[in-house]
Amino acid sequence: MRPPSSLKQEFLKKWITGLQRCSSSKRNMSILERTKAIKLSADVAMASARNSTTCWSRALIANASKDGSDGKHLVEQILGLESERLMMKKASTGALVCNKRIRSKKILKRSCRIPRTRKCVPQVALATSIAKRMVRKRTQVLKSLIPGGEFMNEVSLIEETLDYIISLRVQVDVMRGLAGVSELVNHN
Amino acid sequence: MEPNTGTAETRSNGTASDGDDVAALESLQFTDEIHRLISATTTNNASSFTALLELPAPEAVELLHSPESAKLMAAPAPNIEDFKASFHFPSNSGLIERAARFSLFAGVGNNNNNTSNSPETPSNNPSANPQKAVKSEPAETESSEPLVSDPTVEKRCIKRKDREKKVKGSTKKSKTAMNESSEDAEKLPYVHVRARRGQATDSHSLAERARREKINARMKLLQELVPGCSKISGTALVLDEIINHVQFLQRQVEILSMRLATVNPRIDFDLDSIFTTESGSLMDSNFPSMVMPLVWPEVQVNGNRQQYQQQWHFDALQQAVWGREEVCNNYITPENSLLSYDSSANSATLHSNQMKMEL
Repeated sequence: MRPPSSLKQEFLKKWITGLQRCSSSKRNMSILERTKAIKLSADVAMASARNSTTCWSRALIANASKDGSDGKHLVEQILGLESERLMMKKASTGALVCNKRIRSKKILKRSCRIPRTRKCVPQVALATSIAKRMVRKRTQVLKSLIPGGEFMNEVSLIEETLDYIISLRVQVDVMRGLAGVSELVNHN
Repeated sequence: MEPNTGTAETRSNGTASDGDDVAALESLQFTDEIHRLISATTTNNASSFTALLELPAPEAVELLHSPESAKLMAAPAPNIEDFKASFHFPSNSGLIERAARFSLFAGVGNNNNNTSNSPETPSNNPSANPQKAVKSEPAETESSEPLVSDPTVEKRCIKRKDREKKVKGSTKKSKTAMNESSEDAEKLPYVHVRARRGQATDSHSLAERARREKINARMKLLQELVPGCSKISGTALVLDEIINHVQFLQRQVEILSMRLATVNPRIDFDLDSIFTTESGSLMDSNFPSMVMPLVWPEVQVNGNRQQYQQQWHFDALQQAVWGREEVCNNYITPENSLLSYDSSANSATLHSNQMKMEL
């Protein structure tokens, strides 16, 4: 079981590594570039701190290390080449398997839906269908928020949001701490 | 028959409320075990209803839950401990998860139950997902259960009994015992769900019910994690809050990264050497002091989003300046006033001293 501070420390170390990599490459970066670099390295560091145990971390790293973006070098730096390859393999197979599963589930649902007939009171049916529609809309929005969320079913989506919220909080805390300290140092 | 007795004990523990029925229940459960053993020889019957189940992604569940339960207990401890005292229950989400698990099923000896069931049924699921299957149990005790080898026939008998209204008055809570514990134990093929009084004991509806309860348990955890959610009822509104929270956190990350970009002209943080040399103590004291102003409190959900931000508990600040869209400059002044805490000031001056020495 990992103590909480070690998660923060791990994230911080990986993040600083990534930032050093960024700063060594270019000299005069505009503020936007720097923002993006900081955010990217923070995200990748957070995802790698999960060690590919969660779907969102794999999806995040997969998105970051797409060919043609400078994220790839960053990911290599933070993760190390070997683990990056492992993670890419896991991410691709995971997505494929999830897609197949989702497709087969949809086919199954469609086939089961046809013979079933339900007799419901119209008002009750209306209320429940409205509620279901609302929930479905919101789950779609949530899927768009969580990295790699489109491939998950409802159960794993909720688990992924749990994990994602926790890691986001850790990330925000660490970043805020660093920002505060560095601002204080600069003012002195 | 050691595993069978273990199973019978756990189930009798779970139904300890019905003191009268325990003996009859035990006898029934022995017959259950016998049926399962008999049905283990017939391979195709079980797969007929297991194949129709909606089954979660085994990979994600398996991978997620063993580290996640550890992480849930480990990672949010500093954040959630800062919750306001309006929580009546332990706010550590690991504890909450454990409590949720235990509230759903018997509790004692469930791991025994897992290991006892897993060797029995691997042959039952040739084509279906080997992880879970739903098996119905009769809601109330009937001592005379006809010996049948087919689990589907068994369910038909149970349906008949329900219709005959031999069900006694007390309704039993449905238990997804194996459902929850199988995620951190070995893969368990059977999920035990208890049918409530008057509910269909269809294999479809049982599976749906098991799945729904799983989702509801997770949603409860999410509600406790996101501030301001535990008072809301209704899935759609809770999901609304969760979405807002995730968006807020993502926006925080962006704003903080912009802030860090404005702080130094190049991305060089010499502080890392400070952090590493100081060893864990200073960083631990540093982070909680930074974090302490920003607790994740239990907030009244108002319609106004600005108020939601402002009710965050800042000791030094009377009014929070957190808005959804902010210029970086606004953050500097609140942060500096926040940094006037004793512990943080000490650590910050230490930082600055070391920086000067290095330079």
